[in-house]
Amino acid sequence: MANIRQLDKRRKSVRNIRKITRTMELIATARFKKAMDRAAAATDYTKRITQIVQDLASSGASVSHPLLVAHEEVKAVDILVLTANRGLCGGYNGSLVRVATQRRNEIKEQADAGQTSVSGKRGISAFRFAGIPIEKTYTEFDDQPSFDSVAKIADDLIYRYVSGQVDRVDVAYTKFITSSKQLPIVETLLPFAGLDLQTKSTDVALAQESKIRDDYEFLPNASAILQEVVPASFRARLFKCFLDAAVSEQIARMVAMKSATENAGDIIKALSRTYNRARQSKITQEIMEIIGGVEALG
Amino acid sequence: MSSDQAVHCVVVTPEKTELDVQCDALKLPMYDGELGILPGRAPMVGRLGYGLMKLKSSSGEQTWFVDGGFVQVTRDGVYVLTNRLLKPEQIDRQGAEEELRKATELVATSPEARAVKERALAQARGKLRISS
Repeated sequence: MANIRQLDKRRKSVRNIRKITRTMELIATARFKKAMDRAAAATDYTKRITQIVQDLASSGASVSHPLLVAHEEVKAVDILVLTANRGLCGGYNGSLVRVATQRRNEIKEQADAGQTSVSGKRGISAFRFAGIPIEKTYTEFDDQPSFDSVAKIADDLIYRYVSGQVDRVDVAYTKFITSSKQLPIVETLLPFAGLDLQTKSTDVALAQESKIRDDYEFLPNASAILQEVVPASFRARLFKCFLDAAVSEQIARMVAMKSATENAGDIIKALSRTYNRARQSKITQEIMEIIGGVEALG
Repeated sequence: MSSDQAVHCVVVTPEKTELDVQCDALKLPMYDGELGILPGRAPMVGRLGYGLMKLKSSSGEQTWFVDGGFVQVTRDGVYVLTNRLLKPEQIDRQGAEEELRKATELVATSPEARAVKERALAQARGKLRISS
């Protein structure tokens, strides 16, 4: 019967798909671990920068920098959207594009100027499809974004902000909260609010250390250091966004591929059952035919 | 610094902790010249330039290229925060010359643009000095 052969064929193809999704899940798991390690290694720098800023603040230096000052009139807003280069990661790209386009429409209502930049092939094609003009595109960021390329984007944004070409910079990315929770969000990066000026240390060892007050010597002086610290910490902050996006992407792909593998297993089970039933009924039918034939002869 | 004999030197880049070693003394390229650090240095925060960092220990002297950033000296160590840490031999001369040429060609019409240009110039010159 053609039906049986068809069922068997389908079962085979589903098995092949399961093999592929299973491999993709394993690859995503490996990449997730790597991306996670990178993200963890990057926190040292942020911690140190925060420490320097706190020391500067506690030494009585006034913390002021063009990047920290909000522009009075918001006429131009840049939005940077971080999506993935590849699909097959569930709702990762879709939900991010949804959040980003929503914010972009809000922005365009109050400020007409400003650039829309998109990183990741998926986001680029989604924006093109929606007919949204994109000024800059980046496709070089994969599961291990390099600081050098992120720093270039950051320097460009800093220059645009400081020279008054743009009054606000928003970044849409998937924030990594825990390994079971990631949220697509839009954050305002400039004016920069990422400096933690309160002298509170999360680290117990650091807290004990800070009881003994260190009188720092500043070379050349506190304000010159601040001029450099603020951009550096902005760069680190943007880099963190890229790292978060990379980690979240791998998690999303891992989860999507895991459920695809499980689903393939279910389909195989259902198909096997139908296949066995069809085979059995065919055998029964053949026996009945033989018996019928014997009876007719006798 | 905890120990009187050694300097605990940690170099951190935005990507990872590159170096975590004990040494006898180190020299850092500050924005306006070299600074030597010996065990027991008073706490300080300083701005780094683009140049060679030299670590002196019993096993010899190590040199690294430091790409701007900061240094923080605390009682338990020297923390160097820089964008990149390279071995001197990793710097290619032609690339540095190209960078210097590009930096010189930048047109600076505003104070911000001038700052960008000066930064690029200092970076390229720092690299050139080392590669020659």
